[in-house]
Amino acid sequence: MSGQAGFGIVADYLQAKYRQVQDLQPDEPGAALAPDYDLIDSRVLDSLAFVEFILLVEEHSGREISIDTVSREDFRTVESIRKRFFDGP
Amino acid sequence: MNATYPTVAERLVHDTGFKDVLQRLVDMSERDYYNPYRLFEWPQTLPQDCYWMSPELMVEQSTEVGPTFTETQLHAISKWQSINFYSLNVHGIRELLHEVVARIHTADFAVPSAYFHHIIGEENEHMWFFAEFCRRYGGKIYPSRAMSLAGPGIPEADHFLVFSRLLIFEELVDVFNQHMAQDERLDPTIRKVNEVHHHDESRHIAFGRQIVAMLYSDLRERLDDGQLWALESYLKRYMRSSVDGLCEPLMYRDAGIPDPYAVRRRVLADPGYPGYVERVLKRSISFMTNTRIFTSGLFEEPRTAEAAT
Repeated sequence: MSGQAGFGIVADYLQAKYRQVQDLQPDEPGAALAPDYDLIDSRVLDSLAFVEFILLVEEHSGREISIDTVSREDFRTVESIRKRFFDGP
Repeated sequence: MNATYPTVAERLVHDTGFKDVLQRLVDMSERDYYNPYRLFEWPQTLPQDCYWMSPELMVEQSTEVGPTFTETQLHAISKWQSINFYSLNVHGIRELLHEVVARIHTADFAVPSAYFHHIIGEENEHMWFFAEFCRRYGGKIYPSRAMSLAGPGIPEADHFLVFSRLLIFEELVDVFNQHMAQDERLDPTIRKVNEVHHHDESRHIAFGRQIVAMLYSDLRERLDDGQLWALESYLKRYMRSSVDGLCEPLMYRDAGIPDPYAVRRRVLADPGYPGYVERVLKRSISFMTNTRIFTSGLFEEPRTAEAAT
């Protein structure tokens, strides 16, 4: 799976992590994760969760990701992730 | 040694036991010095129809996923799992070298700097033979998946966390090296790589245990309970994610296993998997518990002072 369907799965994962970081209960309403929200400074993505996340992006974008070819800015926001890994051919 | 010293440097300078250990380690490194570039024979190929890793150490073998594969598939998985294992070594050594080079001959680490020269030299050589194995017999080194983002956010604990991560990495790897060095089902080249690494790592682990225990003993006097629990939680997550790294989807792909990401998810979600994690981390868990860095089990939250009494 790749393209917009794959991106939806990655976005849902980040939304769930965002709720965790905010310590929201499952039945508690919370704001949607904004496309420009800083995932790194807010610790939605941290060092130890990163491996799991990069594998999720790899699986759903259909692109093998070498850490040597990406930067932390590629993972800064939902929008930067979409542009870097899900836009284009 | 219970007094609080104002700096790490003074802590290390005043510990004569630590200095004795360092001198012994330097002596052993000088005595056992070898030329790794001439040590291995590197045959053209290694046999494909056998295990490249001890099957009992393969990550899926303690789960319900293992028996779903044929013997031929397991042989292929063991080959690519070993390439992943040595690739993780290459990337782990890169982090180690980076951190030790950043500290050698700095004010805080004047005392162990003589030994740091040996660690840097030996680790450079280990990185070379692990990379050589991957490139010769796998045609590649698997990419690193790690990126340095936020940690626990306790700057006073930076040295402690760095040396703890390095120790955990070295102890985890050594469990595999020690076992596979003696496993006669494996090709002699594989046994030799593991044997040589195990021999050197025993010194690095001895050093790591000393410095981690000392730095933690210092932090116990400086940090509050909440900060100490944050460190404990972080190190437990680090240990668990280090073992998760052994289950790399690309190795299943290269072994010709369909849906490699789903295989990884099934292995990590299997009820047998936590037992595997605890088994390969047993030595590290014991050390962390004995030094009171861990107050509870690997999969448990840190125990509060009230609960412990």
